[in-house]
Amino acid sequence: MAFIPSFSIVFESFRLAVGSLRANKLRTMLTLLGIVVGVTAVIAVVTIINGLDSTVADAFSAQGSTAFSVSKRPLVITSREDLIRFNKRKDVTDQDAEAIERLCDTCWRVGMSINGSSLVKFGENRAENVSVRGLSLEMFDIENVSLQAGRLWTEQEGRSGRAVCVIGTDIVENLFAGRSPFSVVGEEIRVDGVPFRITAVAEPFGKVLGFSRDNFVYVPFEVGQRMFGSRDSIVVHVQVRNSGLFETAKDEVRSIMRNRRKKSFSDTDDGFSIDSQDAFIGIYQNATSGIYFATIGVAVISLVVGGIVVMNIMLVSVTERTKEIGLRKAVGARQSDILLQFMIESVTVTMVGGAIGVFTGYGLAYLLSVVLGFPLLISPSSALLGVTVSFVVGMISGSYPAWRASRLSPIDAMRNE
Amino acid sequence: MENIDSNGSGLSHPYNSLIKMRGIWKTYQMGNEQLHALREVSFDVRRGEYLAIIGPSGSGKSTLMNLIGCLDTPTKGEYWINGEQVAKMSDDELARIRNKEIGFVFQTFNLLARATALHNVELPLIYAGIGSSERHDKAVDALNSVELGDRISHRPNELSGGQRQRVAIARALVNHPSILLADEPTGALDTHTSAEIMTLFEKLHEEGNTIIVVTHEAEVAERAHRVITIRDGEIEKDEKIR
Repeated sequence: MAFIPSFSIVFESFRLAVGSLRANKLRTMLTLLGIVVGVTAVIAVVTIINGLDSTVADAFSAQGSTAFSVSKRPLVITSREDLIRFNKRKDVTDQDAEAIERLCDTCWRVGMSINGSSLVKFGENRAENVSVRGLSLEMFDIENVSLQAGRLWTEQEGRSGRAVCVIGTDIVENLFAGRSPFSVVGEEIRVDGVPFRITAVAEPFGKVLGFSRDNFVYVPFEVGQRMFGSRDSIVVHVQVRNSGLFETAKDEVRSIMRNRRKKSFSDTDDGFSIDSQDAFIGIYQNATSGIYFATIGVAVISLVVGGIVVMNIMLVSVTERTKEIGLRKAVGARQSDILLQFMIESVTVTMVGGAIGVFTGYGLAYLLSVVLGFPLLISPSSALLGVTVSFVVGMISGSYPAWRASRLSPIDAMRNE
Repeated sequence: MENIDSNGSGLSHPYNSLIKMRGIWKTYQMGNEQLHALREVSFDVRRGEYLAIIGPSGSGKSTLMNLIGCLDTPTKGEYWINGEQVAKMSDDELARIRNKEIGFVFQTFNLLARATALHNVELPLIYAGIGSSERHDKAVDALNSVELGDRISHRPNELSGGQRQRVAIARALVNHPSILLADEPTGALDTHTSAEIMTLFEKLHEEGNTIIVVTHEAEVAERAHRVITIRDGEIEKDEKIR
């Protein structure tokens, strides 16, 4: 006989499933747990990574793919051997920057930075590990820094090495608790003990991956060079007018720099490194795909365990309800009707678990988004994924118990007292 | 046993012969031994009969009941119910026959504990694929016919033994089966309630239902109009008593 379940039977099965789930609340909850954990993990990870992707994309698209940097060491160093090798390279200097500016036709802006970190104090208030960067004025355009209060230092001030600075909003918060950005302009802070006058406060950049990007003090490049220059190489930053010129500019700069480093065609190492945002995005994607796969692994394991629990409980349920199955068969239930009944019951359990998992997953993602500060991007497709996954788990783990139930003979079933 | 096989072919089924069993064997394999629960059983039941099947335990009467009720198939032999040969049917075909032709009443009632009386009675209609409003009406009618119209939303644990058995009888009758098949229907009831149930059976018989009661209690069997006695897997006696 063809297997065409009537609506009555589907509805009856569903009613029954809900009834038996409600009759055994504790058991139902324990059964659901594995599925809930698995689906929560999937939903949370998908949502969090979506959110992170969008913040990272926003953060980096501020510069877009129009800027790159020339430095002694690349941004990403994967081994100790490489580190040693890169450290043997010549430092990048302001003469290199000057040469690039002079010789590179496609380069639009050329800036210099020198980076360090210092202890910053205002009176009794202190902030440790503040990023202190010496920047040439071009850097404010290249990095798209805007000021919310005060003014940038002048070229004259920069060249004469005046102790002036532009600070990030974290410094205002940490050292001048409760004061407005406007009121701190003109104050004097101490960077590694040296007094600097604040000329401006930058607009906040916000957080990326939970790390604030506003904990900085920018000083004129010449001043930065005095502070850190003896210790480290500078970084040259290049920006092109539009991303179409990006690769050309990179090639031009590479050949200029190779000339300066006197590298022949046979030298495999440039003697410097050219990096762009792509490198950041590459690291980021590597890191997140690692997290992605680890969590998917956890989710799969808990779904498998959850599925086994569901199957186990369904087998118990079939055994407990042997008499009921016998009766249903006696009054006319076909094998397919019983099969359907238990499949629906199993799928109902896992779908309820999946639905709870979707909500707890979003909840978890919401909490993390508040803590780490990235937008919550709820995608309906992840909910669909969670529900689909739990549906499939229900189908798989319900099939064997349901098959066993459907094969029960009504006589044996009713003899079971 | 007259007039059941008028043309002698063994394949005719006269209108008034509802059940027709011919040379039924049921054999169980117990290790190396064959156990014959039924040997060469043949009989007919006409529409509207009130039949009791009695016999000591181990006589084969439960096996016979399972075969009559299409819960099982014979090892050998032929069985027509309402003109359909059921001896060789598949599980699902048997389910259809049970749903359409047989109304079961069990010793232990076999009601669904979590379901209301109404829902218990609706059960055979669900598997018959009948829509919910028609189902509801029919179930209410059936409950009314056993005088439980005021208990439709009670659950089994809120009903007395006699009331539970009446719910089970309503369930058996709701799909208007050809046969009401009762297995020790008073086995779990006290004397007074038993009498009540037996009176109900008589009333149902008068209304034209065909009733087969399997029992080992003489008082229950005495209420029937015909008694078949089974012993060692064979029909020992088949007598009209009324």
